[in-house]
Amino acid sequence: MRINYKPQDRFDFAIFLPMIFLIIAGLLAIYSSTVNHPTAHGNFQKQLYWAVFSVLIFFIIYYLPQQTFRMFAIVTYLAAIFFLIAVLAIGKTVYGSKSWFGFGGFGFQPSEFAKLATILMLAYWLTYKSRDINNFKDIGVALLIGFVPVILIMLEPDTGTSFVFVFITIALIFWSGISLFGMFVVLSPGVMVVASLFGVHVFLIALILVVIALFFFKKDLFNSISVFVINLASGFFFNYAYAVLKPHQQKRISSFLNPYADPLGAGYNALQAKVAIGSGGFFGKGFLHGNQTQLRFIPEQWTDFIYCVIGEEFGFIGSVIVVTLFFVIFMRLLKLSSTAKDKFSVLVIVGVLTLLFSHFAINVGMNIGIAPVIGLPLPFLSYGGSSLLVDVVLLGIVLNVYRNRKLHT
Amino acid sequence: MNDTIFGSVFRKRIFFLMVVGFFAACVMQLFNMQIIEHPIYSEKSDENSVKPIHQMAPRGIFYDRNHKVLVGNKPSFTLRIIPAEYDKKLTPYLEAILGVNPGYIDHILKQNETYSKYIPRKIAKDVSFKVIAWYEENSAKLPGVDYVMETQRDYSFGVMGAHMFGYSKEIPSEVLERRKNEYDIGDEIGFNGIEKTYENILRGKKGTKYVLVDSKQKTIGRYKNGAEDESAIKGDDLILTIDKDAQEVAEEEFKDKRGAVVAIDPTNGDILAFLSSPEYDLKDFATVTSNDVWKKLNNDPDKPMFNRASMSIYSPGSTFKMISAIAALEDGVIDTNFTVNCRGGLQFGDRFFKCLHVHGTVNITTAIEHSCNTFFYQLILKNGLDRWSKYARKFGFGKKSGLDISEESSGIVPSTSYYDKVFGKGRWTKGLLVSLGIGQGELSVTPLQLAQYIGLIANFGKSARPHFLKGYVDAETNNYVEVKPQYYDLGISRKTFDIVRHALYLVVNGSGTATNIKMPDIAIAGKTGTAQNPHGKDHSIFIGFAPYDNPKIAVAVIVENAGFGSLVAAPIARDIIKAYLQKDKKDEKVNQNLANAVAAQGGKKSEN
Repeated sequence: MRINYKPQDRFDFAIFLPMIFLIIAGLLAIYSSTVNHPTAHGNFQKQLYWAVFSVLIFFIIYYLPQQTFRMFAIVTYLAAIFFLIAVLAIGKTVYGSKSWFGFGGFGFQPSEFAKLATILMLAYWLTYKSRDINNFKDIGVALLIGFVPVILIMLEPDTGTSFVFVFITIALIFWSGISLFGMFVVLSPGVMVVASLFGVHVFLIALILVVIALFFFKKDLFNSISVFVINLASGFFFNYAYAVLKPHQQKRISSFLNPYADPLGAGYNALQAKVAIGSGGFFGKGFLHGNQTQLRFIPEQWTDFIYCVIGEEFGFIGSVIVVTLFFVIFMRLLKLSSTAKDKFSVLVIVGVLTLLFSHFAINVGMNIGIAPVIGLPLPFLSYGGSSLLVDVVLLGIVLNVYRNRKLHT
Repeated sequence: MNDTIFGSVFRKRIFFLMVVGFFAACVMQLFNMQIIEHPIYSEKSDENSVKPIHQMAPRGIFYDRNHKVLVGNKPSFTLRIIPAEYDKKLTPYLEAILGVNPGYIDHILKQNETYSKYIPRKIAKDVSFKVIAWYEENSAKLPGVDYVMETQRDYSFGVMGAHMFGYSKEIPSEVLERRKNEYDIGDEIGFNGIEKTYENILRGKKGTKYVLVDSKQKTIGRYKNGAEDESAIKGDDLILTIDKDAQEVAEEEFKDKRGAVVAIDPTNGDILAFLSSPEYDLKDFATVTSNDVWKKLNNDPDKPMFNRASMSIYSPGSTFKMISAIAALEDGVIDTNFTVNCRGGLQFGDRFFKCLHVHGTVNITTAIEHSCNTFFYQLILKNGLDRWSKYARKFGFGKKSGLDISEESSGIVPSTSYYDKVFGKGRWTKGLLVSLGIGQGELSVTPLQLAQYIGLIANFGKSARPHFLKGYVDAETNNYVEVKPQYYDLGISRKTFDIVRHALYLVVNGSGTATNIKMPDIAIAGKTGTAQNPHGKDHSIFIGFAPYDNPKIAVAVIVENAGFGSLVAAPIARDIIKAYLQKDKKDEKVNQNLANAVAAQGGKKSEN
């Protein structure tokens, strides 16, 4: 039986159009923040080429056979790990982290590519034949898939990006139907880390709560003791981890707590970003008329602080429109996650959602002062070719799933 | 899907709640920042990037009563370096051109190292025009070097007048603390004399240019294309009552003398000449005053910074005798028939009070003419202390005249209560009075008070408060604004003044004590005085007015440690009178034309 599909049945405009609008908003903001800049005035043109290139790739991805992603998951992932190791050896150091390959005028970030690869690999592993998500071994492998890139990226070091891999891994394990106990095993070490931040007393209380929880789970002694030991170790681990953080990263955490304490130091960017957005008012100061932006009060504004260009020059209206476009994409991804019928596609969509949402929440959050200053680009808007390409490709995969969803009914 | 105790719908709902929750938090925070707290951020943003550059307003110029410049302004060049654009290789050349020691520029640049490299540093003030010409020729080869033109006072117009003009200087921090709303750090403020009194109209209005700066303070462009800029408005020019010619003569005569001159127009209180000698040179105060100059001025035993004309208190000597005469005549204590037989002095109690000569029988007129002490010893006893004291105060002694500079002393006029306070009630005798009769003793006056007093006698008890300001030219409208003198009348009869004035006429033109200054064409009347001085030779004093029939100038001259009044002070007074009156005749027509021109200009403005 042949069915005549309407275009919107095969192509989800509710994702594609917001994405295009966001890319355009990003280009405008990049233009505004670099047009008068002595060294960065070429960025708009570069980003424009990347945008056109990315959209072309988007359609190629869209038309690929659906099996492609599943088939190439392992290869992609191994390639990504290879690149992550290679970049540590021969990469270019930019802003203190070794995260770039340079090819002539263009750069490429393997960690961006690794996001795509890790989502595919996790989705592949978690949906392979009769995977038991509550089996310690299977969880262990899933965690390993997620945490190998985390550790490699931390070595660059690019802490912000490595967080995103943690979120993706946890989200996919969670969505796969891990049991309450399994989730407890995965999450409680993280809780212990946070608890240890607040000193010995809080740490001890948390440890007691872990013991009580273990008692109620009524697992065998071996399991219970193992989990307890893992928790205890992760609490102590944090002190070492904090010491591993670069001083500027430690400072970023403390300057988030009180950005006004050191207005010219680490808190400077956060403060100036808030001033830029706040001074935009309801309608904004107008395109190219934001003095914070035009007078370059925020260094490298076209990367992590691109959102405050929108906030300053297009005001509350522009800021809310951008946030809403993201909101539409996220809602749509959630909706698609229940329409797609095969588990692999669902997990890919959830992975994409987690990735875009964590970037969005951390980036916008730090621009408006409700999240710490962690260097993560804003998807589709921030300057940077590899990041834009990967984000667009991810949505291309989602639309590929959408295109093929009817075939499974 | 895998259905465990965690249903997939439940898991999906957690994702949903996170997305919706964060979206709501974003919109709320944006609403809070961009709408509720918008004014706070907006202000911060403006402070960030709009920088005001203040332009000093030139102070108003001082003109004399005939519109001749007394104190002007001249451009002054300040050389600056903008470190961000400056090439350190230029330093040796610059230092050679400026004539400063090697290392000077480095030192200044080091001092302000922590400030942004785009803020210009002033490296030399009051740079000569030669240097600027050199700069203009070579500016292409001097990146990061520029200059700004400011104005400074110009004192090259032939008069000194330091004590009346005063000077302005950078506002001291304690004054700035009080007047934060009106002044900024580094502003000039009138510090003394006329510069201080008329600060409010002299200072003008500072201009402000708004420029946009980036986060490194580098100037990017103008703010709103200069729409908010305000140009500086020059201060109002002052038309002073001073007569430049008379002032010049006074200064010339006092070149090697210490003392003071005050000349007043008795009809309206205009101060025509005002001098305290030795003077200090205002040129030393036009820019930054060097420590050497300060030290020299402060250590000079002649105290050149001290304003003798209105602050120093002297014994008036015989010039004070007219107070006794007027008091006695006006209150009917004596009349012209009252005589005293002068045998060279007066025995009072156990003390003999001397007269300079044996004058024989003298009445009020001859007593003034010949300055007979015996007569005035008697007269003050007849008057009594309090009558004398009351009249002395009437003529302005013992209190400030209200002159429009703040450097003024009140002097001392003793009275019963004064002596009671100093010596105790009943513990002083009338012997103290006798000295007061000839202007000695506890009495002390300022040269300004003496000029005011002789002016009142000249003009039959009618005059106006002494003042320096005739009017000013409003810099914004260009209108001349006249300042009306504050007239007053002592209410003393013409008959009394006729007797006293006649006697003063005889002092110069009869057979009195100052016949040496008699002039063929100008009738001067006056009185000599010799003030005893515990610290050295007597002070020579002369007070007088002219012309006798229609007084236009009253003058008081004190020359310290110079002996008899007639010999030193009187000729100076005559020269000042001559300089003023003879020119006055000549310039009357010019004056009239000027007045017409100013009136015409004012009229035209108000029509617009």
